[in-house]
Amino acid sequence: MTTDDRTDVLVIGAGASGAAVAWRLAGAGIRVVCLEQGDWVDARAYPHWQADWELHRHTDWSAEPNVRRLPQDYPVNDQASAISPLMYNAVGGSTIHWSAHFPRFRPSDFRVRSLDGVADDWPIDYATLEPYFDLNDRMMGVAGITGDPAYPPKSPRQTPPIPLDTLGVTIAGGFERLGWHWWPSDSAILTRDYDGRRACVNCGPCDLGCPIGAKASTDITYWPKALAAGAQLVTRARVREITLGRDGLADGVIYYDRDGRERAQKARAVVLAANGIGTPRLLLNSRSARFPDGLANRNGLVGRNLMFHPYAMVRGVFERPLGGHRGPIGCSIISQEFYETDLSRGFVRGYSFQVARGLSPIASANGGSVGDRVPWGREHRRAYAERFDRTITVAIIGEDLPELENRVELDPGLTDPHGIPAPRVSYTLSENSRRMLDHGIARATEALEAAGAREVSFNPLLRAGGWHLMGTARMGRDPATSVIDAEGRCHDVPNLYIVDGSVMVTSAGVNPTSTIQAVALYVADGMIRRRS
Amino acid sequence: MTPGPLAANRDLLALVLDTLVPPDDAFPESGALALDHVLAMAAASAEIESLLSRLLEAVESAARGGNVRGFSELGAVQREDLLRRVERTLPEPFEALVRHTYDGFYSHPATITRLGLEPGPVQPRGHRIEPTALPDLARVAARGPIYRRA
Repeated sequence: MTTDDRTDVLVIGAGASGAAVAWRLAGAGIRVVCLEQGDWVDARAYPHWQADWELHRHTDWSAEPNVRRLPQDYPVNDQASAISPLMYNAVGGSTIHWSAHFPRFRPSDFRVRSLDGVADDWPIDYATLEPYFDLNDRMMGVAGITGDPAYPPKSPRQTPPIPLDTLGVTIAGGFERLGWHWWPSDSAILTRDYDGRRACVNCGPCDLGCPIGAKASTDITYWPKALAAGAQLVTRARVREITLGRDGLADGVIYYDRDGRERAQKARAVVLAANGIGTPRLLLNSRSARFPDGLANRNGLVGRNLMFHPYAMVRGVFERPLGGHRGPIGCSIISQEFYETDLSRGFVRGYSFQVARGLSPIASANGGSVGDRVPWGREHRRAYAERFDRTITVAIIGEDLPELENRVELDPGLTDPHGIPAPRVSYTLSENSRRMLDHGIARATEALEAAGAREVSFNPLLRAGGWHLMGTARMGRDPATSVIDAEGRCHDVPNLYIVDGSVMVTSAGVNPTSTIQAVALYVADGMIRRRS
Repeated sequence: MTPGPLAANRDLLALVLDTLVPPDDAFPESGALALDHVLAMAAASAEIESLLSRLLEAVESAARGGNVRGFSELGAVQREDLLRRVERTLPEPFEALVRHTYDGFYSHPATITRLGLEPGPVQPRGHRIEPTALPDLARVAARGPIYRRA
């Protein structure tokens, strides 16, 4: 086995958090090597350049690794999960195919136990992360507008908000008529040229990637700067296990290079940034006499407390065309009217409404996220015409609370192409989440009807909605109830850090990437501080 | 390459697709536009080939059971009625056929044009959104903070 030169810090995973950490550490003069199982995505390879671009959403550009089945993917056994995990394996990770909706966690999200008596408080708070939110916004480039009363004041956004267009103005009218909160959502998509990147041309399918670099993905935001600062990035490098030295500290990894050869990379510290499923998988695959149940897993919590954001989708049909095929698919408006706890609603914590764009031609026929396919036969023409370009979908993104039984384990039989045991996910929707989503469905229906919808239908739980993978190596002060400490270090292995969605103590009711990256930058600064 | 059973029955398949998405005066394009896509899906996957071939056999068999020589001799209403019976008998293959038909039909340039969109790649052209003023946010902002300080 070939052993590579020892580095200061080895980062596993080049996605949202791994890129941020690598950039921050390299900028401080620390020698960083990052191993990424995927490859760079060539801007010319995106389906947007092909006439049949929409067909790729359910084949080679699917967000589901079990559908995509590319060589860099690993299978996930999700038969025991109500929600299918989604991810992308490449430089940039899942920021390649995310919709770039970019809200932050709110201050109360870090104090869930103290405020509402459920789950746990984070060992860090909003104020601690605020400078990192701002730094990350500058690195990613955020379109938006300040003044949202749902948040403490924010620094100026890098570009003006994403245009609402007819669709956004229509649903905003519904929120206005009800007197509810709404705001143009923060989106990591440029509406003006910024930092050497081009403005969005409103082509639509951000979920298939952005071939012009208007949408922030870390292959075009953090990585060019990280590489310029001296970081090394090795692609098509799949890590099999993290290794320990005689002192009980992590001393590197064993991985397979792009030719399938087994190699070792030694390091003084290891940072895991492989997402909320990949990270516990790797820890559980790193067994030793010292850690027979998986690395950093003395308390048995690695892989437990898996949180998704359960999504319900509510769709209104309107009388007039809404131009929903124009503009970034996942972004126009957020409403946080029902975000904070109000026990009279029958559940604890809350949710956001995320209003996305309309459905493209194939998605209109197949029912989109609501899943009600247009009938075939004599009724088809009329039914399709009533739906195409006349729908608004409101997503309810509910806060998922941690539950021990929702977890990632190793599947006893399933492996990836290198023979490494694959993850098995078990997830059941809690009663609290169910009540929350039902409340959201009723309120979204009100909003759509107030906006003029003549018909409303819904999907009570989006199965293919596991975009956000969180909680499986949670942060905390108590080694008995958490995997990493407040500085991102594993309690059991203090030179092993975790920075991806695994560390989330709670999930909040918003998309997590902005907060994941802020935490990653905060952890990186702690590493720099201790080194100096 | 020897065509599979599905390709050998392309005329029957085209009739079935036209029954799934029939033409009308305002939208003369019909499901047969999806024929090449459906055949390509079948050629790329033995599983799809098998599913859809089984379905076509069931369609033709059901038609012959009705005292005609085949599906092609039925009228439009009879074809649809027959397909609904087959759908109840073979729901999984039928679901696959409808999905692939919609995929092929609604990605075809002729359909895209008829929908009022510009066919072809969405890049580099993108879409123009007419600049409009942002709706007034004063009412929302005037509520003051709605987050809990923690």
